Parts: sequence; C-alpha cells; structure tokens
Amino acid sequence: MKAGEVGEVGAVMERPGPNSARLAGLLAGREGLAATFAATRRRLVAARDPAGLELWAEGALALLDANAGALGLLAYARLSEEQGHRLGGAVLGEVARAAAQLCRQAGAKATEAALQAFQSLAPAMDGPGERALFWAGLIRLAAAAPDCVVPFVGRVGEVWRAGHGADFAGFIEAGLRASGPATAHGRARRRAFFALEDDLALSLAGRIGAGIGFAEMEGELRRVLTALWGSAPQLQTLPPAGRDVPRRVNIAGPVLRLPDAWPGLNAPAARRLYVASAVHAGAHLHFGNPRFPVGRDKPVQIALATLVEDARIEHLAMQRYPGLARLWAPYHRASADDGPTVAALLARLARGLFDPAYADPDALVGKAQALFRAALGEIDNPAISREIGTRLANDIGQRRLRFDARGHVTEPAYRDDGLGLWDFSAVDPEVTAEVEMIVEAARIDRRAGEDGKADGPPERSAVGRARPVSAGVEGVVVATYPEWDAPAGIERADWVTVKAMPPSLGDGAALARQLEANGALRARIARLVKAAKVGRASRLKRQSEGHDLDLDAVIEVAIARRAGLVPDLRVFRSSVLTQRDLAVLVLIDISQSTRDRLAGGLSVLDVEKRAVALLAQALAGLGDAFALMAFASNGRGEVRVHEVKGFAEPYGPEPAARLAGLSSGLSTRLGAALRHAGAMIGGVRSFRKLVLVLTDGEPSDIDTASADLVADARRAVLQLRGRGIDSFGVTLDPAGGGEGAVGEGAANEATAIFGKANVLPIRRVEDLPARLSELYFRLARR
Amino acid sequence: MLTSPDLAAHRIAAEPYYRPVGDEIAVFEAAWAHRLPVMLKGPTGCGKTRFVEHMAWRLGRPLITVAAHEDMTAADLAGRFLLDAQGTVWHDGPLTQAVRHGAICYLDEIVEARQDTTVVIHPLTDARRVLPLEKRGELIPAHADFQLVISYNPGYQSAVKDLKESTKQRFIAIDFDYPAPEIEAEIIRREAGVEAGLAATLVAIAACSRRLRGQGLDEGASTRMLIHAGRLASGGVGLETAVNAAIVLPITDDADMRAALRVAINACLP
Ligand SMILES: Nc1ncnc2c1ncn2[C@@H]1O[C@H](COP(=O)(O)OP(=O)(O)OP(=O)(O)O)[C@@H](O)[C@H]1O
Ligand SMILES: [Mg+2]
Repeated sequence: MKAGEVGEVGAVMERPGPNSARLAGLLAGREGLAATFAATRRRLVAARDPAGLELWAEGALALLDANAGALGLLAYARLSEEQGHRLGGAVLGEVARAAAQLCRQAGAKATEAALQAFQSLAPAMDGPGERALFWAGLIRLAAAAPDCVVPFVGRVGEVWRAGHGADFAGFIEAGLRASGPATAHGRARRRAFFALEDDLALSLAGRIGAGIGFAEMEGELRRVLTALWGSAPQLQTLPPAGRDVPRRVNIAGPVLRLPDAWPGLNAPAARRLYVASAVHAGAHLHFGNPRFPVGRDKPVQIALATLVEDARIEHLAMQRYPGLARLWAPYHRASADDGPTVAALLARLARGLFDPAYADPDALVGKAQALFRAALGEIDNPAISREIGTRLANDIGQRRLRFDARGHVTEPAYRDDGLGLWDFSAVDPEVTAEVEMIVEAARIDRRAGEDGKADGPPERSAVGRARPVSAGVEGVVVATYPEWDAPAGIERADWVTVKAMPPSLGDGAALARQLEANGALRARIARLVKAAKVGRASRLKRQSEGHDLDLDAVIEVAIARRAGLVPDLRVFRSSVLTQRDLAVLVLIDISQSTRDRLAGGLSVLDVEKRAVALLAQALAGLGDAFALMAFASNGRGEVRVHEVKGFAEPYGPEPAARLAGLSSGLSTRLGAALRHAGAMIGGVRSFRKLVLVLTDGEPSDIDTASADLVADARRAVLQLRGRGIDSFGVTLDPAGGGEGAVGEGAANEATAIFGKANVLPIRRVEDLPARLSELYFRLARR
Repeated sequence: MLTSPDLAAHRIAAEPYYRPVGDEIAVFEAAWAHRLPVMLKGPTGCGKTRFVEHMAWRLGRPLITVAAHEDMTAADLAGRFLLDAQGTVWHDGPLTQAVRHGAICYLDEIVEARQDTTVVIHPLTDARRVLPLEKRGELIPAHADFQLVISYNPGYQSAVKDLKESTKQRFIAIDFDYPAPEIEAEIIRREAGVEAGLAATLVAIAACSRRLRGQGLDEGASTRMLIHAGRLASGGVGLETAVNAAIVLPITDDADMRAALRVAINACLP
C-alpha cells in the first residue's frame, strides 16, 4: 500500500476518538514516541475499523498506566506495525492489556521482551485461544517468578509450539514445581530452568508437540530388545538438542542413547521409529564386532563402510527374524528423484543394499548390490563391510562428488549415527582433522547451541548419566517400578530404579543392651506377646466338612437316629489358622532428616532402630512372618533399599547388626519403596499382609516435587490394597506438636497417603518404641 | 467314587505320544526298578504330565494323578470317614488306593499343598515304604508296584513356598525344560498338526517370550501354549490372531509387555 493511499483513506477517520485523543495528549511531550505512534496509527487507519482503533489506543494507554516505559511502548508500536494488518486493532488492544498486566508483575524490560517474542510467534498462533494461553502463561510466571520472565521470553520460541498451547502452560507449571522451595538454591534452579539451561527444561521443551517420548517407550524398548536379542543394553536419552536438528540413535559401548522425543512425529509414528531404531542398534550389538580402527580412512570411506555394515547386520537380523523387513522397509524411500547430492546417493545405496529388488538408475547402486551379493557367503565377517565400503568410496571419489562430512547425517532415520562402530583412538594424524569433522557432525549435541551455551550442560550431564555402575557401595539394581506423574495424569513405566545396597554391620549387641535397659517396656511387650499367642490355631467343631470327625457330634447323630429324629449332619472337625495368619514388612525411612537430634542427644534414626528392634523381638516371639527393610532415595535412578531381615531368615544377631548399621542420608521416595515392599511381601503366603511404614516426613526427592510424590505414594498404597496388602504409616512428627491437632506437617501428608484410619502420628519420638509395638498388636487383631 | 480294586479306570491303553528329550526315560526306568520316588522339576507346560503318562503306559501300571492345591489336607490324600446309613465308613484317598493296589501316584505341583500334607508321604518314600492311617490306626505296607512321582516347578515360587529339605532329599530328580528348538518344533508339528515352517515360527516366538522371563513375565510361552496356537492356526484362524489369542493375551495383562511381545512376534512372522 502506498503512503498516498493511506492518507486518502485515513482522511475519513482523521478525527480521533476519546482514547486516541488521550493517547496523543499523553505522548505530546515525548517526541520520538509521539511520532512513532502517529505513524503506526496512520497505518491502522487504513483498516477502516474505528472501533478497533479505539481499542488499540486503549491498549497503549494501559501500557502507559502500567509504567511500561518508552521501550515497552515502542515494542507495542512495532508489533502493531508488523502485525496490525493481520490482527486488527481489537486484538492488539487485548495483547497490550495482557502485556500491561505482565508489566505490573515483572517490569518494563520483561514487557518489552515479551511483546517482541509475541511479535515473532504471533503468525504461528492459532487464534484467540492460543494467544490467551501464551499471555496467561507468561503472567502466571511473572506472578510466581518475575525474575525468570526475561530469560524465558528470550528462548520462548523453543517452548511454544503452535497447537500446543496447553503444553506451554504445562511447561511453566513444571518449571515452577521442579525448582522446589524458594531458597537461594531453588531460585537459581528456577532461573536455569526458564533460561532453558537445565536438562529437565530442555527435555520437556523437546517433547512439546512430540507424540510420544523416551520415557513412555523405555520399558517397551527394553523388553523388545531382550525378547529379540537376549539382553537389553542400558538405555539412556541423548543430551537434549534443538528441535530442528535431525536426531539419530547413538551406540556408546554397551549403552544405547536415544532421543528424548522425535519432534514433529505423531504418537504411532514416533513409537514405530523408536522400535525400528532400537532393534537396529540391538542388531549391531548382537552381530557387530570389535570396533573398526579408523586408521587412515577418510570420512567418505567411514560413512560408506558404516552404511554397508548397517546392511550386513540387518541382513543377519532378517535371516533370524524375517518380520523385521516389514519394520524397516517403510523408511527406505530414497529414489533417483531426490537430487544429485552425495547424501541422496548414500540413501539410495542404503535402500539398494536393504532391498535387493530395488533397481536404481545409478550404476553405483547396482555395483554395491552386486558386491554385497557376492559377499553373502561371508556375511558373518564384518571385514566385508569395510572392504565394500572402501571400493564404493573410491568410486565416489573418482566421480569428483563432494562429500559433506560436517553435514553428514545417517539415512534412513532409524539407523544409528554410526559412531559406535569406529574406534577413533587410533586415527592417523594426517586425517585427524577430517575425521573429527565427521565425528563432530554426528555429535549433534555439540552443534545444538549456536550461542555456545548448549555445549556446557549437556556434556556434563552425558558424563553424569553414563557413569558406570559398579557393584559394591553402588548397590545392585534389583527392580524398576512405574511412578505416577500426577500433573501429567499418566503412569510412567519403569520410571524408578531400585537398588539393593550391601549391608553395613553395626553393633547389634549394643542395640539389644539398650532395650534391656528398659525393663518395664519389655515386660509389657512380653505380656502382649503371650496374650496374642494363646488360641493361635483354632479347631472348629460341628462343621459340614473337615478333615476328621467330631466325636461328640457323631454320638449325637447316633442318638438322634435311635430316637427317630432328624440328625444334624455337621459332624466334622476342621482346624483353621486364626485371623492372625499375618505377614508384616516394616519399611524404615532413613533419609537425611532422620539425622536430626532429639533433646536427649539421640538421633531420630537411633530411636527408629530401637523401636524396630523391640518390635522385631516381639514378632520373633510370636512367630509371625516378618521382614525389615530400610530405604532412601537419590532421584528416580537410585532408590536404595537395605534389606535388614528377609522373610525367610530368623531374627538373630546378623539382622540386628544390619539394623544397627543403618545410617541416615538422601531423600524419601516413598512410592517406589512401597512398591518394592509390595513385591517382597507379595510372594509370602499369609492371610493378611501388612506394610508398616516408619517415616519422619513427607515424601521428597531431588528431581520431583513433593506434592507429586505424595500423589504417587497414595497411588502405591491403593495399588497394594488392591493386591490385598494393607499399609499403615507411623509418622514421627515432633514439629506438629505445637499446633496440637492432627493434620499438621508430616501427619497431614501421611493422612493423604495412607488414609485417616491408617496413620499413627507420634509427637514424642521417644515414645516410638512403645507405641510401635502396641500398634502392631492392635493391627494384628483387626 | 468307590475304590475299584484293579484300578481299571486308571490304566492307560494307548501309547501317549512322548518325544524323549534326554535320558529321562532311562533314569525313570532305573528308579522304577528300585521303586525309588521320582521328582519331575520344570516349568509349566513342558511335558511333565505327558511323560508320566507315557511311563505308566510303558511300565504297564495304572496311574493315579492328584493335583495339589492350597487347601489340600492330608485327609484328601490318605482318606477319610464318611457317613452312610449304617454309620461311618472309611473311604480310601487316592494315595491310599495307589499304595494298596500298586499304582503310580503322581502328585502334581506338590508345593501348592500345605506342608503338613507333604509329611504324610515321608514314610512312603524312605526304606519303610508304609502309609500310616492314623485315623484308622492302620499301617499299610506299600504294594510292590507302588511308586510315587511328584512334580515341582522351582521357577517362580518364593522361599516360603519351597519344599522342605527332608522332603526334597527323598527323591530322584529329573530336570525338565522346554526342548531344544528342533525337538520342540517336531512336538508341535505332531501335536497341533501344522507344517514345519509354522512350527519353527512358533518356536522362535516362544524363544522371544522366554527371554522375558523374570523381566516382567513370570514364565515364557510353554510348549502347551505353542500347541494351542498351532491348533488355532491350523483351524483356519490367521497366524497373528492365533498367536495373540493363545500366547499374548493369556500370558500377561500388562499393556507395555503386550506391546513388546507383539513387536517380537511380528519380527518372527514370515
Ligand atoms: N516331550 C514331549 N513329547 C510330547 N509332547 C510334549 C512333550 N513336551 C510337551 N508336550 C506337549 O505339551 C503339552 C503340555 O505338557 P504337559 O501337560 O505334560 O505339561 P506339564 O509339564 O505337566 O505342565 P504343568 O506343570 O503345567 O502341569 C502336552 O499336552 C504335550 O502335547
Ligand atoms: Mg547402524
């Protein structure tokens, strides 16, 4: 539109409405601003929307009101110029009012940045609903964490996906929850999260708009790999990278690293690609060999040998599992129409080797197929891959085709990046630089950060995660369990890893002596034991079936017969075990907080130990089946359990020493511990099963919000109940004492987890030993 | 149910098909020669029952099978008093019948029974070879041809469900497992009436599922399941449907596990 036209059309509405007039008045003293706004206004006039024009001016007034400053106003003006024709005055006014609200919480600088970000994202927003979600998200963030708005808005483009506004809101909520309490540390974490300098943030951002992620697939992939190849490698995620970087699986020794998500794929497609890639990588691990030394090989040679090796292991895999052809074939779509680049040619070579029936106009493909066919007799020998690869690479070299080592990405998408096949330690110095290029090209995590930022954290985390698990002090992985992700409303399969820790022995005799010192208590418990023992096995008389006759009843029958009466035929005796056919597992929380000292100088854990020792003695006296297990956690990857006493072993000096040897540390991931306890007690045969949890606080852990862990623990309790296992929480809650009523602090959480009737809050920790044993007798009677 | 002295109903007329896998027939015959009690160990559906049937036929002895269960008492094995018009009459239990008349008694899944039950077999399975019937004050010496066989699946029981040491140590044990692929394919071909290619595919599927044992599956697919799948398939149901109905659905309720199994199965299908 030419300026002259604008003028002519604008003349119709030259007379400003009240808002426009007020705006003009307020800007009068501010030269630059006034000019810009006048120019912007003139453009909007062209839209012939007087009502809209007024709303637009009202928006500007709202920004002025909120002290958005010159920069904020200018950003509004720019937005209006750029997007005014598309959005119209009314929408712009709405945006400005939202921006003004943001400004009140987070200040002018944040407002300017947010308007700028909105300007670039607006074209990708789907209507008013999405715009509202965008601003509501920012305002929510501004209210909770104003300092995070500026860094977040700077990278908001990586979080906002058209059509996924709800995930945007979810991302912000997740960030606010994940950062934990508002300590200095929590605030720093939060800032890192919203600046997308945090792994969790990057991986969540990567999953927005992606149908299904690694977390959902991990369990299934592990099982698929086990089923097909006999064992599953360790599965991990690749370090997060930008969403537009093509991602390929990486094999790092025995570890398989897969992308967090496949951006842009819907759920079924993402699932197929995960399965196809994992099975391919599994075939490498199964049929592959020690890595090829790089030696003097050029990048193009490496790429082609990798490609042939892919075909070789797939050929072997399909010999064993013919159905795999159906899994991989859909990804081989390359054709001669894809263009003349080397990359396209490589994709066609891959297709030709995968599918012998594929015919390509380029003779090189036919040659590759012929060479591969001729080598089939030796298909078990990985050396053929390098031989054929080298010959093909020479051909490409002779044709003077340029191979772009840096930009090289394996095709098709399910194939790994190939780096795992090569040993780069013995690289000839002459070719080092070139080879490094290809390595770097494939190592996308490095390339991800154009600003150099992404280099740091992902590298660190990769090292952290790949840390080898040695037995010994590290413990052995014994199980994985699902966990309930309350905000997402899904159960994440195989989310939590439980490790059994080796026992450390303490002075069990000293523990026993401490108990002996408290004679009165022991005497009381002994009486309870005796009372509970009486009448353990009960015989039922006059039953209609049973394993022997009830003599009295038989005589009565005989008498009744003689007397011509109808006899009562219930003449059997049977014996049943009394209600107290009970197995109990005591779950002891040994997280960091149990280190706290009480007035008497003992730690909470010391008192826990005494209580458990006392209960154990009582249980041993009763002959009830019982086990003792302690737990603490260090993130979802490491829930540690210490088996103090198993169901099968008697309570003797060894378990006592293990009990005495427990020490405090780490966090409380209760749900996982409950699930593990359920698995242990599930195998025991008894009429009633009881898990008794001894804890001093609400669940917490380093990587998940407490409220979510409470929800998960609640779910675990319900799941156990569904399997006939009762759980009961004994909470040490000295802090709750001041307020009096139940429902404070730890007891409150415990009620939410176990249910009101199944919690015993203990205010004076010193009372624990007595109360715990009494409680057991009460529960056992139920 | 009355005692039939000759146990005619328990005699096996036609040869039950059994494909030997190792030296189990020789071991069983040697044990039989000395009337030593035998324990068959192995996962479900791998041919233990079939083997005993085959051996009973081969040795020409009647076979009395008792499936143990949680509520089984000693009386269920030995016998009990029942009432009739005249008063009480004693009724021999299956074990007593076998002891009196010289049958092979097969106690299936003995661990399921309560421990006090297993103790009644102790005097029968040592040098005494007698069955005391406490209730009647009677001591029955075992018939010369009586033999006791028990089965026992050590795989997935907890320690609590294990056999007592004093019970275990009375038996000659024969270890069963799913047969080698070619043999298992042969069994399926024969039992389900399918062609060799299909039988091999089923065996490959079973191998996949057995690798998942302990990784979310309590047991892999048994030979019995494969035969079922084969029968469905040869009855005209599509192979994928047959495998789903006979293997995937019965073996697990876990959605992830089913998904993983289906991927593996698809890989095995031609
Ligand atoms: N070696 C074999 N020879 C012939 N048939 C076999 C053999 N092994 C297994 N089978 C087949 O498998 C089926 C299941 O075997 P069987 O019933 O003997 O299992 P089992 O070991 O007794 O199982 P469970 O422990 O569940 O009772 C049989 O009906 C038979 O068709
Ligand atoms: Mg590969």
